[in-house]
Amino acid sequence: MDIVTMNILESTMVSLCREMGIVLMKTSYSTIFNEALDFTCGLADMNGDMIAVADYCPAQIGGMPLLVKSCLKEIPIREIEEGDVILHNDPYRGGLHTPEHTFFKPIFVEGEIMGFAVAIGHIAEVGGMAPGGFCGEATEIFQEGLRVPPVKIKKRGQDNIEVWKLLLANVRTPRVNYGDLRALIAAVDLGEKQMTNIYRKYGKEKIRETVEDLLLYSERRMRAELEAIPDGIYPFTDYVESDGIDPDRKYAINVEVHKRGGDIIVDYAGSSPQAAGPINATLGVATSAAYNAVLHMTDPSIPRNSGCFRPIRVMAPPGTIVNVDFPAPEVGGNTETHPRIVGAILGAMSKALPDRTMAAEGATHCNFVFGGVEADTGEFFACYDLEAVGWGGRSFADGNDGVDSINGNCRITPVEVYETRFPWRIESLAFNTDAGGAGKFRGGVGYTKQMLCLNDQIICSQMTDRHLFAPWGLEGGKEGGLGATLVQKAGRDDWQTMREAYNKASTSRYSNVAIKYGDRVRLVTPGGGGYGDPSERSREAVAEDVREGYVSAGSARKFYGYEAN
Amino acid sequence: MSRVVGIDIGGTFTDFVSYDSATGAIENWKNLTTPADPIDGVLEGLASVDDLEGVRKIRLGTTIATNALLTRRGAKVAYVTTKGFRDVPFIQRGDRRSHYDITWIKTKPLMKRADCHEVDERLSAKGEVVRSLDEATVRELAARIRADGTIEAVAICTLFSYIDPAHEQRIRDILAEELPGIPISISYEVLPKWKEYDRASTTIADAYLKPVVSDNFRRMQQRLDAVGVGNRIGVIKSNGGESTLAGAAQAPVQMTLSGPTGAVVATRALSQLTGIPHLVTFDMGGTSTDCSTVVDGMEHVTTSFEIEWGIPIQIPMIDIHTIGAGGGSIAWIDKGGMLRMGPQSAGADPGPACYGRGGVDATVTDANVVLGRINPDFFLGGRMKLDADAAHRAVEAVAARLGLAVDEAAFAMVQIANNNMLGALRAVLLQRGLDPRDFTLVASGGAGPVHVCDLMEIAGIPQGLVPNYPGQFSAFGFIMTDGRVDRHRTVQQTSKFFDGRRASEAMTELVNGAIGELVEQGYSDQIEVYRSVEARYLGQNHELELTFPANEFTTETVDDFWNRFHEEHQNRFGFSIPGETIETVNLKVVAVAVGNKPQMKELAAAAGAPSASGSRKVRYADGWHEVPVYDRAGFLHGQEIKGPAVIEENASVTILLPKQTLSVDRLGNLIIKF
Repeated sequence: MDIVTMNILESTMVSLCREMGIVLMKTSYSTIFNEALDFTCGLADMNGDMIAVADYCPAQIGGMPLLVKSCLKEIPIREIEEGDVILHNDPYRGGLHTPEHTFFKPIFVEGEIMGFAVAIGHIAEVGGMAPGGFCGEATEIFQEGLRVPPVKIKKRGQDNIEVWKLLLANVRTPRVNYGDLRALIAAVDLGEKQMTNIYRKYGKEKIRETVEDLLLYSERRMRAELEAIPDGIYPFTDYVESDGIDPDRKYAINVEVHKRGGDIIVDYAGSSPQAAGPINATLGVATSAAYNAVLHMTDPSIPRNSGCFRPIRVMAPPGTIVNVDFPAPEVGGNTETHPRIVGAILGAMSKALPDRTMAAEGATHCNFVFGGVEADTGEFFACYDLEAVGWGGRSFADGNDGVDSINGNCRITPVEVYETRFPWRIESLAFNTDAGGAGKFRGGVGYTKQMLCLNDQIICSQMTDRHLFAPWGLEGGKEGGLGATLVQKAGRDDWQTMREAYNKASTSRYSNVAIKYGDRVRLVTPGGGGYGDPSERSREAVAEDVREGYVSAGSARKFYGYEAN
Repeated sequence: MSRVVGIDIGGTFTDFVSYDSATGAIENWKNLTTPADPIDGVLEGLASVDDLEGVRKIRLGTTIATNALLTRRGAKVAYVTTKGFRDVPFIQRGDRRSHYDITWIKTKPLMKRADCHEVDERLSAKGEVVRSLDEATVRELAARIRADGTIEAVAICTLFSYIDPAHEQRIRDILAEELPGIPISISYEVLPKWKEYDRASTTIADAYLKPVVSDNFRRMQQRLDAVGVGNRIGVIKSNGGESTLAGAAQAPVQMTLSGPTGAVVATRALSQLTGIPHLVTFDMGGTSTDCSTVVDGMEHVTTSFEIEWGIPIQIPMIDIHTIGAGGGSIAWIDKGGMLRMGPQSAGADPGPACYGRGGVDATVTDANVVLGRINPDFFLGGRMKLDADAAHRAVEAVAARLGLAVDEAAFAMVQIANNNMLGALRAVLLQRGLDPRDFTLVASGGAGPVHVCDLMEIAGIPQGLVPNYPGQFSAFGFIMTDGRVDRHRTVQQTSKFFDGRRASEAMTELVNGAIGELVEQGYSDQIEVYRSVEARYLGQNHELELTFPANEFTTETVDDFWNRFHEEHQNRFGFSIPGETIETVNLKVVAVAVGNKPQMKELAAAAGAPSASGSRKVRYADGWHEVPVYDRAGFLHGQEIKGPAVIEENASVTILLPKQTLSVDRLGNLIIKF
């Protein structure tokens, strides 16, 4: 292995991926892109193996290898020409969920295809039965928005107008989608152009060899990390509370982690049969989640590429909530079921790896989506935004307060941006006292966002979780606070759940609720579970929590036996 | 009164550069920094100026604000905001420092949650008053703060105050009346731009710094008054401009990044002196390397700076990208068998193995000694003898683990260190859409010249420049500094319904405010004003900055602006959307009090190559070469050297590659080309 060239090539490619991401961030229109940064840019070789990626959204990073590979099954390499840009979002063809759009552009050097520049981004509005892409009551994939199989949105450098027309005719916000699609194309254009230069500089053969070395290097480092974990079989089960259709059923995520030597197998046998509603994960999502969990348990400086995933294998029985069969709905699998899987794997490994795991985090992005017609302009608006939750307590530190769930690393949208863009007034954004699970190290707290509707009507849908099953603690730590969504109709004093107010099956996933002018909505995000026996928590830490208002005097007495003066 | 003295207080040395405009003479000297009270070291250095009376201006870079923030030794701050939003500084943006790091602990803001207070008031996104200010709650709050008795400063940031500051100003007036003597910062004055968390964080930092910076500056003023130069002192702000001590104490957050700006200001001056429009700085020291750009003769200013992860300080400051890689970066081998350099550093103590102070880890400097690039007998101009054997032993240990010869391992160490620094260059060039092929790489710091030729090659930068006294380049920058004020304000409008009068009023207010601030500080020189507008397609969330010609927004200038925006979007991102609505977001003004620029002494001209002072063996990519060694001290304008060669000077050494040529310009700068 040529260590110097490998070092240089790796950092050059990652830097290029970051440059692609900057173009996306700066030119895209949806707040989920440009504020939340829910996108990923990477490079793949001609087999579809990921060779470099920038750290944007973790859920997409783990999904990328399968995405490109399944695309290439459908459009063979020989049919791909220089200047083509391929677009694809179909969850049943390796995609993660319908809003996630993958663009890839071939990198040609002297007429030979060497690999692909790849950009994956979450487009807020995708058509379907509910504005904003998260219909909590969908029962088939067709309701979740326009499915786009791998198609060429550009052919040999020219826009494929027919594809553009179809795409834009099927969404509620064509102006915004047009900007997002252009931004994604600009990102892969940049990646393709720069990577071509890199191939020219080093030569095709040298890059091929070095990339092979690089993937082997990542694999070697991953195996070294895995070898340091005690061998064993580690089981854990957690539950998704409802599918939005059947109010009385819960869904098991069953994991059994088999760790032996430098290999790890995640077996999902025993997980529930697939649901009628949109909480199902595709095999791509379940695989990405296993990768995500393992990356959290190992050295974060290992270069992220297909090599570091080689020691990880996933067994997911078909027809289950972790490997759904066509044509079931699955939009929440990527946002809600993914972090539940990661949490279960971390829970399973918590005894073996106490320094690299944690109690349950909130494990939801809240996913409150909405759309409507703006009174001033008559233009349709749609928004997908996400919220932060409390993270789990750890064997060495409290859980962090107010952080995006583990399969995203997205930012919340500032109040001043939100209100400038959308007809809501946010009335408060405040941490939830006592929502961090008690423990030697307490869980982080979530927060409450209260909003007042300023439009005649806003159509709202949601795909969240943890309204029924609280985030669990570890080693004697207590549960974290539940999440909630409440509505106060104009002229009333009481707050109701969506189930009470609109006769929905679930409080946490529902679609197309008409919120009227003067109605208020309260989004409560869950906290994280605690770690260790609360009685072992230092008195100073309890006193500080009481002083700072994270723990009430009552809870301090109840959980910690502490009398605040 | 023809002398200007620039002073840069570094970690180890305090550097002094003096320039006499009557004679064109430049002198430089240094003494040890006095960490307990840096002004001691400054006064010691000034004592060696024989004619202090004749000094017109003394300019000083200071790390007081930086250190107070980094070590969290600022004031106990009370934060006041709109009802419902006191947790904004704690929630922050909800993202994490990096993926996959489960051990990460979220950064806490600079004040306690218990010291955050809400007042009943609210503006809408259009600036209308939704709830008027409840003054009684403000007075109650003042009573609570007074009763508490521990609060040393107050930060006020209310929602949408960038549209209408009346509520913030009224809260400030009431608190000032109720809490005399406690400094107050309001967001409208610190940073009148949208996005409440960033604005709040910056305002809190300003309040946090006020007591410590004003105490410090007051003491400094007294000490300088005592030696009779107090009225001639200027401190360097993060925007690279100069301010009086009193002016800086009013807005201390402006001092966050004072010291490192020197090399960038010096580079801007080089741009004026040499006529080279685009330069990128490469300031490499023992533990860190700073990179920044000068484009079209102007330094790049950013408002996206974080003092630590998650704590933004968004005042306009010179955009300097710092990485933890320098001469002291230590070699290690990771679990996959890869050689890595840093970020662990041997620092100044024990320092690299070759310092002979007990360091055993192999560093970049040790590798440079093994490769013959650094002369162990002529380090820092011979003031420090290096232990070549110790360097060899340290690198040998790395080589054994890699199965390489010692010189091969040393060469790999240098290449990997170079690659780390390339990351910093990419961050300030490619990640901002700038093409390295348009730039000249300016080497400074003790280690900059050693690596500049390598970096030119791997970064694709066609020209390099090693200035005079590269080791004291920052202090040199301070003698070239102007009085400068940057002011920004968010004024959102769209091309569909653009109200030119509203924009003109805001721009006029910004310009008058910036000029007024300079005049108030006593800058009576010619004041130049630069205006720009940040805009984007309606729906985007990040802006492109384009210059704007005047205070007045006329149909003509506005139409021209829309056209230029489409063009610029095409250039920067490779596409534009003709006919799309454009949104203006921020108006920006820079006012500069242009002083008389130094006229540098020119060298006598000569042709051909200077004569070599000797030769030595240096390891290059293709093996060892016996290369000529030159002493920079005798160089004349127009002389040329073909690589490979080594050029030694007191503070550093330049390693010319085989395919490069070096020439000496009329000012004595070394210009390197392929």
